[in-house]
Amino acid sequence: MTPHELLPLEIQILGALILLAFTGWLVYLVRRQRVSLRDSLVWFLSTFAALALTLFPQLLVGAAHLFNIQIPSNALFGAAIIYLSFNLLSVTVASSLNAAGVRRLAQECALLRAELEALRGEGTPQGRIPTLELPEMALPKARS
Amino acid sequence: VRVLILAPAYNEGRNLPGLADRLRVSAPGYDVCVIDDGSSDDTARVAASLGFTVLSCPLNLGIGGAVQTGYLWAQKHGYDAAVQIDADGQHDPAELEAVLGPLRKGGASLVGSRFLSAGGFRSTPIRRAGIRYLSWFLWLRCGVRVSDPTSGYRAADRRAIELFARSYPSDYPEPESIAVAVRNGLRIAEVPTRMVERAHGESSITAWRTLYYLVKVSLALILLPVRPSRVFRGGQRA
Repeated sequence: MTPHELLPLEIQILGALILLAFTGWLVYLVRRQRVSLRDSLVWFLSTFAALALTLFPQLLVGAAHLFNIQIPSNALFGAAIIYLSFNLLSVTVASSLNAAGVRRLAQECALLRAELEALRGEGTPQGRIPTLELPEMALPKARS
Repeated sequence: VRVLILAPAYNEGRNLPGLADRLRVSAPGYDVCVIDDGSSDDTARVAASLGFTVLSCPLNLGIGGAVQTGYLWAQKHGYDAAVQIDADGQHDPAELEAVLGPLRKGGASLVGSRFLSAGGFRSTPIRRAGIRYLSWFLWLRCGVRVSDPTSGYRAADRRAIELFARSYPSDYPEPESIAVAVRNGLRIAEVPTRMVERAHGESSITAWRTLYYLVKVSLALILLPVRPSRVFRGGQRA
């Protein structure tokens, strides 16, 4: 089976153009520092892999046979779903880490704001309600 | 011994004067820190005018983030004990000494319970059933018996302050934080406390949120790390 029987030339050209345009967009985003070089790597690699499959569709047939998948397009969809799931999970991980970072920064901001106000004499550094002191408590010593 | 009262507050400007009055009667001499969790009302201004230390979070972090901000403050300023108390007035400051009591006997973290004492406000039957389920689940996962793991009225000693300053769950943190404490070798004690119905505003816990609460906390307890928290450093790892 020739490559053009697997994928018509028009589709190959259209697919390659879309992927090249996507690569150009990625380059633009990296150069504008809207995507970090590290994060862009996985997108460049996956785009080049898609470009290779578009230009050489027999690679997909070979991969499908390797995993005993009868219809090559099913192998493509399967691989795409797995890839997107992993990619989405990595985005979720990054999002969780960012949320934890934002929380920590907001907390630090609240602490520093209180310290600053205390230094300026606008707040009460102790926040103490006046009058009597409480009896001493024998707190447990930390185990070493 | 320096004790800090932590009062996380989200739009509690109307409830704070009442809390200040009760603290003035029941807990004079304590340092009080109100953590304004990105409120849209005048919580921070009211708290400052009442003489409390105010930690103003620039955005709403949720109860876990707000409480942890308080623990960070307690840690940074070398407090020996911290007591969490709800700014909505549901926790009676008159019980504060009772809540602090087990710290004197060597307990590390203390949870007040809604059920152990007769009288006072009781929550809905669904929520009580949820609390019983969480109590059972916590026992199953950590082997610790706590009547009300959802109670936010609790005292923590320096070890617990150190732990919670470094590692505290984000939303619906109470049961999970008990599990974190147990997993890090802290001892848990419980005393009977009386709940008071909130004076102003609605509770944030609706029926759907109760369901989410149970699912989220169950998952958190299932996925508890086997080993003690890696972030708990400071020479006191259990």
